[in-house]
Order: sequence, then C-alpha cells, then structure tokens
Amino acid sequence: MRQAGAYSGLVSASMSGRMGPHSLPLARIKKIMKKSGDDVKMISGEAPIVFSKACELFIQELTKRSWMVTMQGKRRTLHKEDVASAVIATDIFDFLVNLVSDESSNDNLAETPSEEMETFRS
Amino acid sequence: MGDNIGASASSADDGGFKEQEQLLPIANVGRIMKLILPPNAKISKEAKETMQECVSEFISFITSEASEKCKKERRKTVNGDDICWAMGTLGFDEYAGPLKRYLHKYRELEGDRPNNQQEKGAGSNSNTEDQKEEPSSYGTDHHHQPNNQSMSFRPSDF
Repeated sequence: MRQAGAYSGLVSASMSGRMGPHSLPLARIKKIMKKSGDDVKMISGEAPIVFSKACELFIQELTKRSWMVTMQGKRRTLHKEDVASAVIATDIFDFLVNLVSDESSNDNLAETPSEEMETFRS
Repeated sequence: MGDNIGASASSADDGGFKEQEQLLPIANVGRIMKLILPPNAKISKEAKETMQECVSEFISFITSEASEKCKKERRKTVNGDDICWAMGTLGFDEYAGPLKRYLHKYRELEGDRPNNQQEKGAGSNSNTEDQKEEPSSYGTDHHHQPNNQSMSFRPSDF
C-alpha cells in the first residue's frame, strides 16, 4: 500500500473517474481473497480491481442463466432454486454445486464439507 | 474469528462449517443482477443472497488457484495476471480476454500508482505532487458495457 486510504479512496471516489466507478467494494474483495487460503500472503493493488470486473461478469452470467430457468417455469421472479439449477447445468460452475445444494438441504448438519469448502477456510 | 464485517448472517448458519463468510454487499450484487435482466423481472431476496455466496466462492476459488501458482513460482504477491491466468485455467476463458484488456488499460492509466485519488475532493487530496488530471476520455469504460457482444455468454449446454 503506497498511500494511506488508497482503497478507501477508490471505494468512495471511484478511481479518478477514469476506469469508472467499480460496482463492488475493493476492500471487501481483498478480504475475501485473503480468506481463501493461508498461502495468500500479499495481493497486488490491481488484483481486486480485476476481480471487481470479473465478479461483475460472473454475476451477469449466472444471473442470465438462472433467468432462463425462471422463464422456462413461466415465472417472473428469479428464485434461488433457479440459481441452483443454472449452477448444476453449467460445467464451469461445478465448484458451486455443494454451495447451492447445501442451501437447499439445510438439515444435513452432519454432512462433511467438500474439499473445496475446506480449502477456502482460512 | 469473529469477523462479521459485511457478512450476511442468514444462510451462513449451517452448522458452522462456513464461518461467517465475507460477502459482497447485497445491494451491489442485486444491482448488477437487475441490470442484466429485463425490466419486469423480479429477484427474490434469497436469490440475491445465494448470488452473494456464489460470488465469494468464486473469488476464493480463483484466488486459491492463483496463489498456488505464485507459491510454485516462489512469488509472494498475487497480481492481476495471476488472476487472469487462473480464470483461464478454471474454465472462465471467456472472461480472461476482456479482463486482460481491462487490466492493461488500468496499468496504462495508473502507471505505478494505483491510487490517484484526485477528484471528487473527497477530502483526500493527496500529497502527490503530480496529480495528473487526465481528462477522462475513456467515456466508455468497460464497466458500463451492458451485456455485450464481446462477451457473449451463449448458454452452451443448456
């Protein structure tokens, strides 16, 4: 961090208006990154910025796919089950399968967390 | 870890396997979702919460991969290129291209100082002697491109 308040500056003042406002708070992204593993020690300033864009793309894609499920059900309200269906139907979202099915089966308290989950715990 | 900054309590409580996970704000997530959907679409709160969790998982997933690479190469800092690389490796190659361009543009603009806080006088006017007040001629920042053609997500296996 070169200057104090670099991130808060970015968060509140949207990066000098050049790259446009970021829709997602960079400091929070950085926290999530840090929690992803013990190996994550240092994160360059640009990484959260890349992620803010990437997360936007991710949300857009998952939302669009979920919406298709909603429409197939002739509904207008996107529900979490639609998101779950979209996750299951899309290969690259395999890493989310446990997450969405855990949510729908909350009674499985004894269920062992998947490897992926464990990796993400700090 | 009593870390509950920004964590949304409700769905994280499933027996304690996921501690209070850090989440991106539901308002921001919801807004991105809304913008991509038709105007008459509605989104349930649970769907937004689910999306929050998915995004956090996405960040962790990519970061872990990037960080492994850094470890193997004995580098301590995960940088933007590592993130782009990890995306490509993990199946998000459609994102990798646009992200690299975004990253390069960022690097061009910001040079070595990723923190030119000049404007908006949000109080912080830095001690940077050279506040390059470059006119934002990039009206089109990638951020605002709605749903564009350059990154078309054709629902391939649907």
